[in-house]
Amino acid sequence: MGPQEKPRVAFFSFTCCEGCQLMVLSCEKELPDILKHIKIVNFREAMSEKSDDYDIAFVEGSISRRDEIKKLKKVRKQARVVVALGTCSSTGGLNCLKNRYPMEEVKEAVYGKRAALSYKPIDTIPARPIDAVVEVDYYLHGCPISKKEFLSFLTALLMGKKPDTVNHPVCVDCKMAGNICVFEKGGHCLGPVTRGGCDAICVTYGTWCWGCRGPVDNPNIDSHRETLERYGLTAEDVAKKFALYGECGGGRKC
Amino acid sequence: MEKIPKFKYLPDRALNSLVNGLLREYKVCGTIEKDGFPAFGEVSAADELKLTQSPTHLSAKGFLFPQREVLLRFDMRTSAHVPVIEAERQVLFGLHPCDIRALALMDRIFAHGVPDPNYLFRREHTIVIGADCMPDEYCFCESLGTDDVDEGFDLFLHRTGGGYLVRVGSERGSALLEKYARTREPGKAALKELDAANERRRLAFRAKLDAAPEELPAIYAKSDESRVWERIGAICTGCGSCNNVCPTCYCFDVKDEVGASLAEGERVRTWDGCTLEDFAKVAGGHNFRKTRAERLRHRFNRKFRYLSDTFDSLFCVGCGRCSRSCLVKINIADVTNELIRENAGA
Repeated sequence: MGPQEKPRVAFFSFTCCEGCQLMVLSCEKELPDILKHIKIVNFREAMSEKSDDYDIAFVEGSISRRDEIKKLKKVRKQARVVVALGTCSSTGGLNCLKNRYPMEEVKEAVYGKRAALSYKPIDTIPARPIDAVVEVDYYLHGCPISKKEFLSFLTALLMGKKPDTVNHPVCVDCKMAGNICVFEKGGHCLGPVTRGGCDAICVTYGTWCWGCRGPVDNPNIDSHRETLERYGLTAEDVAKKFALYGECGGGRKC
Repeated sequence: MEKIPKFKYLPDRALNSLVNGLLREYKVCGTIEKDGFPAFGEVSAADELKLTQSPTHLSAKGFLFPQREVLLRFDMRTSAHVPVIEAERQVLFGLHPCDIRALALMDRIFAHGVPDPNYLFRREHTIVIGADCMPDEYCFCESLGTDDVDEGFDLFLHRTGGGYLVRVGSERGSALLEKYARTREPGKAALKELDAANERRRLAFRAKLDAAPEELPAIYAKSDESRVWERIGAICTGCGSCNNVCPTCYCFDVKDEVGASLAEGERVRTWDGCTLEDFAKVAGGHNFRKTRAERLRHRFNRKFRYLSDTFDSLFCVGCGRCSRSCLVKINIADVTNELIRENAGA
């Protein structure tokens, strides 16, 4: 990249719903300004052109096939900065639920008995976050990511500032929003151990924290398990609650 | 000299006209019902205000010290920067005595040293109307002497039969009452009822401290090595709720948020809390209070010891909110009593 050139930005998508790319696209108000500072060269959700010449790679999705490993390594080789975009990419996400079963069983469940047998080229490996395969420079959490966080990350990166990663539990966002505690209302929530930065929208709109952003840096998982049981969940319910976004292990990478 | 009666009597329907009158002139924030629980919120119609004798989960501090507020707007192309100090004329309606005591402490904090123009300007434009309460299992204001107030409010409402006995705390309060509500002199029965209610309230406190408030700074000073901290540190999730629900926790973080133009931006202040992991983390990654036990010890000391040197006052008002909101049941009165017991023999 020459001194006057804008950084070239690429978006890549692996195993996921591509909802995080949609969140980027929904920044309609800010994108015209942003595009004065970057050049997007790869963005499947938004354009047909492709380029192998880029500086910053936003990588969405977890890795669940062998060919994805190869592709991701190529991205890492090219990009100066690799950003994990969203939960699947950052912590493995929902996709890791399949890791509890033998891969043949998983294939069969999705494609049917005959399809699983006859469709040999389908390859599936235990799902994993992208940092299980390559080195990652930055993480944007959330299922999907928060627009606000994406924009503040990008502006910080472009200005040469250290991007701010939220490391407080969702409880902080929840109290800031003035919510009544989910437990007080008779529900069960993963807020106390889950990374915030989401403005606690799930609780604000009437549900509870599902744990989509993964745990904070040093979560007290054992204590929160006890809390959930004290508030009436069985050990099995508790395990299920943590499994949804945490099958990669409470805070560990698989 | 004409004897000024201590109380006015405000019938229920006159309360409505008072609230309606206030709504025409002020932003009214008061106790409302949220998901079936008492909470502070903005009131847009008189019937939304639900004066409650139960404590609210969150305090009212956000109306004076907002969760997020812009302090400055800047433009890096021109280096222009404009301070932002915004305040609406507002009424805080339904604060309990502990909340009013807490407000007085916040006033001192934000006026101390370099005065904080944002808080003070907002405070100046705020009318405080108190309301009486009944303690739940977590309230222990009585042990700290913060269970009643003689000042710090414009009006204070005591519930009696079909209305309220009102104490007037300022000329502003007196003028509002005169302007918007028809009051009358209280009858003997109402005053008697108030005495009975006060007695019922006094007997209703279940949480109590086993030492006088003035003894607490010294007890805390001797408790740095107590095993209590490790024990509660082991169960704490570091969720920061105790800080955020506390009416006297005033710590904040300041950050510059730059817009997509990469030129214009805002300097923003948000709540922060000493029980959060990153609170005492500094550049280079060193954390002065690495463990949850250290962070809890720090918070308790801020309430009962550290600030008393500067302000000659405890910074806990006994509202019980931190204990009430704690999912692992760390109870500020129980912890303090344990330290009192540990020090009794020493």
